[in-house]
Amino acid sequence: MGCLNPAEQAKIILRSRISTPSFVFSFFSQSPDSNHSKLKYIISSSVTEACNNSVLLLGPRGCGKVAVLEIVLEELLKEHPDMISVIRLNGLLHCDNNCALKEIARQLCLEHHLMFSKMASYDDNSQFLLSMLRECGLAHKTIVFVLDEFDLFTQGKQRLLYSLLDAMQSITSQAVVVGVSCRLDADQLLEKRVRSRFSHRKLLFLPPSREDLQRLVEHILLLPTDSSLPNDYVAAFNAKLLNILADEKFKGIIDTLCYSDSSVGYLLRFLFSAICHMDMNSGFLSVENFKSALPSIQRQPKLEALKDCSVLELYILVCMKRLEVKELELCNFNSIMKEYKSIHDTFQTSDYYARNVCLRAFEHLLERALISFEDNKGHGQSTEFRPVKLLISWHELHQGLKSHRSCPVRSIFQKSKI
Amino acid sequence: MPTVAGRRSSLAVDPSAEIGVAATPRKGRLRSDNALTESPMRKSPRFCTQGSPNCLVKVNVEKCVKTLKNFSRSAQEKKLSENLLEKQIWDPRVDVGQLRAVKEALHVSTAPTTVVCREDEQNRISDFCKKCVQQEKAGSLYVCGCPGTGKSLSMEKVKEILVNWANEILGQSHPQKKPDRSSSCLQVLRNIYSQKQPPCTKMMLVIADELDYLITKDCAVLHDLFMLTTMPFSKCILLGIANAIDLADRFIPKLQSLNCKPMVITFRAYSKDQIITILQERLRELPYSVFQPQALELCARRVAAASGDMRKALSVCRSAIEMLEAERRDPISTLSLSLLEKIEDQRKPAACDTVKNQLNNMVRIDHVAAALSKTFKSPVVDTIQSLPQHQQVRFSRNIV
Repeated sequence: MGCLNPAEQAKIILRSRISTPSFVFSFFSQSPDSNHSKLKYIISSSVTEACNNSVLLLGPRGCGKVAVLEIVLEELLKEHPDMISVIRLNGLLHCDNNCALKEIARQLCLEHHLMFSKMASYDDNSQFLLSMLRECGLAHKTIVFVLDEFDLFTQGKQRLLYSLLDAMQSITSQAVVVGVSCRLDADQLLEKRVRSRFSHRKLLFLPPSREDLQRLVEHILLLPTDSSLPNDYVAAFNAKLLNILADEKFKGIIDTLCYSDSSVGYLLRFLFSAICHMDMNSGFLSVENFKSALPSIQRQPKLEALKDCSVLELYILVCMKRLEVKELELCNFNSIMKEYKSIHDTFQTSDYYARNVCLRAFEHLLERALISFEDNKGHGQSTEFRPVKLLISWHELHQGLKSHRSCPVRSIFQKSKI
Repeated sequence: MPTVAGRRSSLAVDPSAEIGVAATPRKGRLRSDNALTESPMRKSPRFCTQGSPNCLVKVNVEKCVKTLKNFSRSAQEKKLSENLLEKQIWDPRVDVGQLRAVKEALHVSTAPTTVVCREDEQNRISDFCKKCVQQEKAGSLYVCGCPGTGKSLSMEKVKEILVNWANEILGQSHPQKKPDRSSSCLQVLRNIYSQKQPPCTKMMLVIADELDYLITKDCAVLHDLFMLTTMPFSKCILLGIANAIDLADRFIPKLQSLNCKPMVITFRAYSKDQIITILQERLRELPYSVFQPQALELCARRVAAASGDMRKALSVCRSAIEMLEAERRDPISTLSLSLLEKIEDQRKPAACDTVKNQLNNMVRIDHVAAALSKTFKSPVVDTIQSLPQHQQVRFSRNIV
């Protein structure tokens, strides 16, 4: 590591920070009113006061539900070693009740160094679970059940949820059920009796506000002063970074990012991309890095497809547009060819191709999904007679034509008043 | 950051109260001496302007106060407030064990020693069972009701009552209880019940909870279970528990044709008065008063209006206690005391300082209001407010 120059070391530090969710979300855990402290209070009160609890973590994807839960569990495991055991289930993997119960039994066996038998039936596993809960309750050990994708557990008969939440109602057990879901109405999906046993505690995880996002970016990108990097480099880097963050252009970029998706996961992908664009020669970040990272995050697939089209294909698209302008009912390959011929006659272009070449270009456009058939019924008819429609808008077509690398006689397209 | 350690560090402990920490809270202990001598922390009424949930709660509290003002003081309320003054003072800052005891008393898993408000139903069930045992006849009973109305709890009590009764009065071997869901040797049972048995055979009491899990497509299991009681020499008393009122009619119509439909006992959802009674019963065992009477009433009214589910009421009360705890830990982000002092002055014009201090340490209406809004509020509004602009525009397009 000593042979790397400071710029590369800084890049490595920043990228590893972004890839560690616990570092990123520990920023949000500092205020006393945060979800982190509430969750920690709920679980720790169960551990210390030996009472049962259940809580649901709700919020859109990428807002840090599992990350905050992991931070809380790690902290609690450090504070109370050997008093907590964690069982993790996922709704995508263990959607079936039998499967889920088997997995619970397997994890309990693993935790307590017991032999797990694959041949155990559903009944055996549920008896095992209940007796383990009793034993752990007597030994004052709390079991934390983490149910990821909680809404997927509510499909079917909800037997697992009922048995888990019913076990919370008995005084001999000491357990916490934490459900994580991206559906806001996850508790409405529960059956009446299961919902009655659930303790209606919900923690809502929301994407951070604009100011919090700005501070989060600072928190992630400012280099630590106590690392192995030279101090003057760190000071210069941080000073330059603060300048960038105060820059209006940067704020504009972040605003554009937030318009489509303001979750933390999205922002982290953007920052990662920006850091990868960092100039190694100067060793500092600049606003251009962020600007060049933006298109790689907010991609426009149709424009990229248009850029790769051949000239003939562009002609065909323009013809379809003109037909649409003329409000002709039917638009199929034959009518497009007629329009193509009329353009050729009007504007005296040199690009006039034979019919079979045009048909090949037409089929290529169909494959690229820039145009498609109107309906799926006419499979018997040949390609030339089936009606087609455009899948891109006027604005996109116009932009595509402008940015095309070798679009000839642009004036023709302009004159045809698209 | 409030952690488990926070409770120990931030509380002002005086040496005389340390003895109290070691003792169990059930011993009668005069806390009033301690509370009068030490000066309680008078919080400055600082408004929290930032957090919108607090502002919302303040609005809710004002609404609640207005609605409660319109209700005339019923006899129950008067009794509640008298109890308040009689009981000793609760100071959660001093004794951590008190808080724990309160939370335990209000936990769903703590079965109360006496089950109130369900005496009528319990009597009916135990009379039915006693009649069956005395006449040595079989019978079936179906208990239905919404979740959280005390069905399983009452059944446990009835079981105990029957066992004690059988031991005392009949002097025979007591009826065995089998908490099976379905019998694995159906044929054996059928054989036993179709022959005449010696007169001193035990009666079998079967309690089947969550009966609707036994419903299969052809309802064979339910049929067989209930048909066991119709056999000529059957000695089986079957008590079925479920949520649906018409389970017997819908899934086992054959029984009506055989004229042995099970007796149906409906556990209705709790009313406001019943919820208050039950909560008070749970808190009666504690030597100090924890809740303001209006707070309990607000909780009971709201829960009774929503579903009548006792578990929800208990959960809301525990939530309110946690709010009080959080308030004690972090006095900055609390509601203004002046608002509440205004309320107290209007209701009790002769309130003395000590009473006011007592009330400051109790769970007040605002705590319960905050807990209720947390429980009943849907997270949709907050999420829409925090959506990115694109999605908000798209959303509003759908509405328009």
